[in-house]
Amino acid sequence: MKDFFDARPALVAFGVLGLIALALVVAEGLHDVAQASLNGLTLGTIYALGAVGLTLVYGILRLVNFAHGDFLAFGAYIAYLVNVTWGLPLAAAIVVAMAATALLGLASERLMWGPMREKGAGWLQLLLMTIGLAFVIRSAIQWFWGNEIRTLDVNVTDSVEFLGLRIGQTELMVVVVGIAVLVGVGLVVRFSLLGKRMRALSDSLALAETAGIDTKRVILYTWLFAGALAGLAGVLSGALTNLRPELGFELLLPIFAAVILGGIGNPFGALSAGLVLGVVIELSTLVVEPRWKLTFGFLALIIALVIRPQGIFGQARAA
Amino acid sequence: MTEPAGQAQGAPLLRVEGVVKRFGGIHAVDGAGFEVAAGSMTALIGPNGAGKTTLFNAITGFARADRGSVRFSGEEVLNLPAYAIARRGMVRTFQITKALEAMPVIDNMMLAAPDQLGERFRNLVFHPRAVRRREREVQAQAMEVLEFFHLAEHADAYAGTLSGGQRKLLELARALMTEPQLLLLDEPMAGINPSLGRRLLEYLQRLRAERGTTILYVEHDMEVVMNHSDLVVVMAEGRTIATGEPQAVREDPAVIDAYLGGAA
Amino acid sequence: MSVGALPLAVTFEAFTDIGFWSGVLVVAGIYAVVTLGLQLNVGFTGIVNFGQAGFMAVGGYSMAILVLEAGLSFWLALPIAVLVTMGFGLLIGLPSLRLRGDYFAIVTLAMAEVVRLVAQNARDLTGGNKGLYCEFEGVNQTCFDDAWRSVSDSMLGFFESFWSDPEPLLPLLIVIWVTVVLGVVALTYLQGTPWGRVLRAVREDEDATRALGKNTLLYKLQSLMISALLGALAGFFLALFLATIHPDDYEPIVTFFAFGVLILGGLANYKGVVVGAILLWTLLEGTRFVELPISEEKTAALRFAIVGAVLIGLMAFRPQGLFGKREEMVLGD
Repeated sequence: MKDFFDARPALVAFGVLGLIALALVVAEGLHDVAQASLNGLTLGTIYALGAVGLTLVYGILRLVNFAHGDFLAFGAYIAYLVNVTWGLPLAAAIVVAMAATALLGLASERLMWGPMREKGAGWLQLLLMTIGLAFVIRSAIQWFWGNEIRTLDVNVTDSVEFLGLRIGQTELMVVVVGIAVLVGVGLVVRFSLLGKRMRALSDSLALAETAGIDTKRVILYTWLFAGALAGLAGVLSGALTNLRPELGFELLLPIFAAVILGGIGNPFGALSAGLVLGVVIELSTLVVEPRWKLTFGFLALIIALVIRPQGIFGQARAA
Repeated sequence: MTEPAGQAQGAPLLRVEGVVKRFGGIHAVDGAGFEVAAGSMTALIGPNGAGKTTLFNAITGFARADRGSVRFSGEEVLNLPAYAIARRGMVRTFQITKALEAMPVIDNMMLAAPDQLGERFRNLVFHPRAVRRREREVQAQAMEVLEFFHLAEHADAYAGTLSGGQRKLLELARALMTEPQLLLLDEPMAGINPSLGRRLLEYLQRLRAERGTTILYVEHDMEVVMNHSDLVVVMAEGRTIATGEPQAVREDPAVIDAYLGGAA
Repeated sequence: MSVGALPLAVTFEAFTDIGFWSGVLVVAGIYAVVTLGLQLNVGFTGIVNFGQAGFMAVGGYSMAILVLEAGLSFWLALPIAVLVTMGFGLLIGLPSLRLRGDYFAIVTLAMAEVVRLVAQNARDLTGGNKGLYCEFEGVNQTCFDDAWRSVSDSMLGFFESFWSDPEPLLPLLIVIWVTVVLGVVALTYLQGTPWGRVLRAVREDEDATRALGKNTLLYKLQSLMISALLGALAGFFLALFLATIHPDDYEPIVTFFAFGVLILGGLANYKGVVVGAILLWTLLEGTRFVELPISEEKTAALRFAIVGAVLIGLMAFRPQGLFGKREEMVLGD
């Protein structure tokens, strides 16, 4: 029994989820389940976008980046600057935010992680530095934009109906943009040379080096990639809800959950796990009161880590 | 500690049968088995990738075996936690020396002593005097063993400051503090110069003679194996392909094939 | 109101304000207590525990709930709350201590957040976002710190005999720092015992320690439970200081600040924790005195920037902190 689970974890996981969804449909009705799933998809795209970049960085560099959440927040606030303060359209804000966050990621690699790795820093040392960086980013956000809640210039009232389900215009935009980018990311990671190299490095950095891959360059591109995705995730999250300094940390743990559930270093796993996590969290609102949904998400992370640390899609390597 | 307890006369101290360990699709160990007689010195050899260290790990609780049987002093110990196996008298060293470098040599030694009251929290609270007394005993014993290995003068130095060879000796000395019945050495000769290697072998022979310690070691150095083992076990591709006296094994066609043929 | 904001004046005269500095020392003391546990875990056992805020919350909330809702005496609630917290430590340690170091760190962080979120959402039990302080039954009011207040008042009464206007925080300050000193003494003693030796060996190389017959999981559990005990104590002190128990006071930031204290003082020594706590909090609160024409919001932002800079700077240039030894800096492999 255990062997079956070990050999086909993804199948078992989806099977279990399918059963749960079925039970919910029976209990709460198809409409509610579908609506919650749609909401979950919206949330999930943000988690997935955040998780793909984080998992690559974690897998390739073994860097537990606690600043990643604040990268998202950084993107969101840059978008605010462009969209609200300068009055430019959201599309422009998204582009600028992605570029800015990509550069932030690159800068952190050149100024902090690269040099520290050369010094032979261990994972805890780096982790503590990421916490420091998170604080610095957050303090900058607080300094320039204060604690008050801000919103992007998006349509929060209009909604669209299809198939009997209702989705807000902004939510729709988030899902469409998010999924489109995720599909693009998936294609890049699967088929492009860079994608293959990133995966090779994630499997084994040492092996990739001996194979002659310019690892330094791939690492830099990975940071640009991760930063850009984080920036996008941040903007979308800001559009979906609002902007507040704690945004970064609030998203951090669920994104880590997606990374771990998907198997560290596995971008497809992170992508799927992010989407699934979002849906699961929203589905939980059918059973428990909505204010419990985040708690639910964290419990899922803990249970997953304890039962299967390598994640649903990860290889059974020495944990 | 020369008489293994609870075991029939003539029965082997260690009996390994049909151990299997898979990693994904690869069978690192695929049905290995052999016996080790009490008081003997047995060598485990084989080409690279034969599964020797994996088997070592599986026997000592550092890797989970998928199947098989490991009987130590008549008791089945397969897949017991590593510390439980060590406590039963089967103690191993590591290929890459694990001297606790940020701790003084004497601490390394005292750590290993068995039956230390002071290691249990409850005793610290309720029996502090007995704890101190045992500490003194352990310290004296540690110094004795260090003397045996000519390391006593380094007792207070951090283990990290010792040379590579000295650290290997320290690891052996430390293993001895546990008063083992069976000592499993993973490539004891690796990375040390010949004169130190000779000294190490002398120590091992003395241990056998004076304390009846049984020794099982993995080794690549054929000269050592030929001259310092009662029994040789040969592994290739995860299986034991030959067991016997050194001379016999050396002439075994299967063994020659494994080393020279495609198996390497 | 979070631990970050001490409700005091922002003027230069306040520099010599005893009330202000008492407050700083109280908070420093609370951080010292919680970080002593962290030191035992990280510096001496090698387990990276990111859940201290969670232990503080379990301790504080258990105590308040026992007093306010179970009607127990404060003095009985304290030890029971400690046991509850240690039990919680056991509960989370058992399944997670066998995980790899970074996984364990994430699990403990998640656990602490679960505790905080439960505190925030289980309104009937924990008062949710209103927090816990007093319960009202008609005209009668019980607050969880009633018993402490009477002790504190009698202590103040005693001080009045030689100090006309004693600082009201003095009793709490004394209790906290006596705890800190006792903690340092006890933990330092423990390190020199065979038990402490096994812990250090676990930190150095867990496999080698297992190969020597030590049940390393047991030791890691004991280490975690002791740090849960210290976390509970810190939780009590915080509750008494703030005169409230509120989920916002147990955010992960508290754990992160504790790590700041830990590495500022240096790994593997307890006295460093004391110095680190005092130094860091003096530094943080000292920003109040610099005559900057900035709002309080920006001061809070500055606080984050300072801790962030300290963390980055230390890790980059002096990972051993003030009193740690460079050789002992085996911070993760």
